[in-house]
Amino acid sequence: MPNWFKLTKAVLLAGGLMTSVAHAEETVTWWDFFGGGDGVRMKQLVADFNEAHKGKIKIDATTLEWGTPFYSKVQTSAAVGEAPDIMTYHASRIPLAVKQGILQEITADDWKTMGLGRSDYAPATWEAVSIDGKQYAVPLDTHPIVLYYNKDLLKKAGVLGDDGKPKGMDSRENFTATLKALKAAGVKFPLGSVTADGNFMFRTVYSFMGQQDGELMTDGEFLAGDSAKKLENSLAVLSEWTKEGLQSTYTDYPATVALFTSGEAAMMINGVWEVPTMTDLKNNGKLFEWGAVELPVIFDHPSTYADSHTFALPANKGEEMSPEKRAAVLEVMSWMSKNSLFWATAGHIPAYGPVTNSAEYKAMEPNHTYSSLTANIIFDPKTPLAGIAGPIFDVMSNFFVPTLNGEMEPAKAVEEIKAGLAEL
Amino acid sequence: MMLRNRRNEGLFGLALVAPFVAIYGLVFVYPTIKLFMTSFTDAPLIGDGNFVGFDNYARLPSDRRFGTAVWNTAYFVLITVVPGTLLAFAIALGVNRLAGRLQAAVLALFFLPYILPVSVVYLLWDWTLNFQFGIAMYLFDMLGIARIPVFKSTAWFMPAVGMITIWWTAGFSILLFLAGLRTIPTEIYEAAALDNAGRWSTFRRITWPLMWPITALVLTIQLISQLKIFDQVYLFSVGGRPNDNMVLVYYVFQRAFQSDQGGRAAAVAVVLFVIVIVVSVLNFQLTRLSGGRDR
Repeated sequence: MPNWFKLTKAVLLAGGLMTSVAHAEETVTWWDFFGGGDGVRMKQLVADFNEAHKGKIKIDATTLEWGTPFYSKVQTSAAVGEAPDIMTYHASRIPLAVKQGILQEITADDWKTMGLGRSDYAPATWEAVSIDGKQYAVPLDTHPIVLYYNKDLLKKAGVLGDDGKPKGMDSRENFTATLKALKAAGVKFPLGSVTADGNFMFRTVYSFMGQQDGELMTDGEFLAGDSAKKLENSLAVLSEWTKEGLQSTYTDYPATVALFTSGEAAMMINGVWEVPTMTDLKNNGKLFEWGAVELPVIFDHPSTYADSHTFALPANKGEEMSPEKRAAVLEVMSWMSKNSLFWATAGHIPAYGPVTNSAEYKAMEPNHTYSSLTANIIFDPKTPLAGIAGPIFDVMSNFFVPTLNGEMEPAKAVEEIKAGLAEL
Repeated sequence: MMLRNRRNEGLFGLALVAPFVAIYGLVFVYPTIKLFMTSFTDAPLIGDGNFVGFDNYARLPSDRRFGTAVWNTAYFVLITVVPGTLLAFAIALGVNRLAGRLQAAVLALFFLPYILPVSVVYLLWDWTLNFQFGIAMYLFDMLGIARIPVFKSTAWFMPAVGMITIWWTAGFSILLFLAGLRTIPTEIYEAAALDNAGRWSTFRRITWPLMWPITALVLTIQLISQLKIFDQVYLFSVGGRPNDNMVLVYYVFQRAFQSDQGGRAAAVAVVLFVIVIVVSVLNFQLTRLSGGRDR
């Protein structure tokens, strides 16, 4: 019989030796949810960071599945002390995380150590990471949705303006006319819409609500006053496009991107995070001439929904973060913020002001074209019920799918949504 | 030879089952007790809550999503358990008539889906039935049939997921049935042939009653696993219209992980727990009674 005791001891000793050798270098475990074209950029940034901090700090990064799976894992792992040292987080999810007590506060001292502060960010972005005057995350970017368009198809249909932007961006009638012109020119889907995914359509619908100054939540009440009517108006536009055959139906996220990149859909409303997908395809000679602009003004004034990717530190239960580790993590967040110009190639608008004010950023396309929307951004309502994969998302998305595909009347959907939200 | 010591033997037996009892207690009994306790509190997902009595249970009857979940789970059980069992039986009968390598090959074909993880099953069928790019949709176009948004319409969702589940899990049931068919002595069939029994009466008088214990076992396994349906429903409906396709386990997940309401989730889990126990005891008794009739 082998001597298990001796064997175990040897294994433990070997393990101990290995950790003591690596001790000079601080390893920071990192979780993110960037799976697409932006994930490639983030991996590049992490590699650059590791190169610049060789022998001092090393990021050990893992990419997890975006949305519900990511946040389910974060909540439970923090509760048992198994969460990473740092993770990416959606600003919209911060109210819930703070209520659950799974985030560490970023203190005034931390901000000083990082060399970052309030004045480096847009007021709305700073506000999005603050709860009761305390900050719980370091903003990395804001990521709105934009209108992508196929210049070749638009030109063929005669709806490409002289400025290289689509015609009819100023009103509902004119934009619908543009869609109809595309249809008449033989385009299968004038607009590619993620109509099978209510979670995604929340962004479009909420933007259209913002264009009428509608609010999802007013003083803790859902769809108060005429906000319900404004939600109905927003849904009505989209379901009208479906009825007239102007947008793709029952299309899930990957299919929408595929419809656009294959030229079957002439335009597409999608997040700025698809910019790298287009850039990479174009560089490989596999894409037409394309552009991206701020959403059309369908109602009263421009408005676009956005969320913000941030860095947050999980409050690992029963595990105190060592000062060395904390210093390393702060260095990670500081470096990433200051080097976020590269992150802009992922389409996102960096949150760190000095980067977006730089001449290099202003020369970037199509980022510069759609950067006009930063003045018209609206975020999620600040409640633990909001955010990616949150309960509000679920309730609303459930009725978006039937409405946007012509199975349900917008008025009925609003009624159901109100009832569903009341049950939360 | 050593003299047997009853007391020692008892202790030895205890020592042998102790690891199992300890693990069973740790990962099943303890969490179950905790679950019952949590269901009477307003606990969030993480941490403890205040005692609220039967509040979490009292609100269930008027909870529409819970109603949908109960209905969908029952519907799913209805369309998968008996049809799935009968189909597996039929396939096993067919495979049983083959011999040698051919039998092994055919059996492997039917068993193959069972070894696939659910994520692969999801991808395969999404690629087949996706509204815009699914292979089946091009077939529909060729035949001039209008495309159907299978996983996005409430009418098609459950039947489709049910069919996929049967396709996915039939392999295991087929194996059980095949093992059962091989235990029936050939002499009985020979005797039946001598008595000029036709194929149908041989099946009805010999195969079916002798196979009944296996059929009852497969039915019970199917019933319990389909009551706990979650993975497929989650994967096929995430992002779409989850609340219309709600099933009980999904509802537990949604309350706990998305709404941060551990107490309410626990109450739903307790209800499911009770349903599974009641239904499986009932199923066992019923199959026993009906099986006795032919003997």
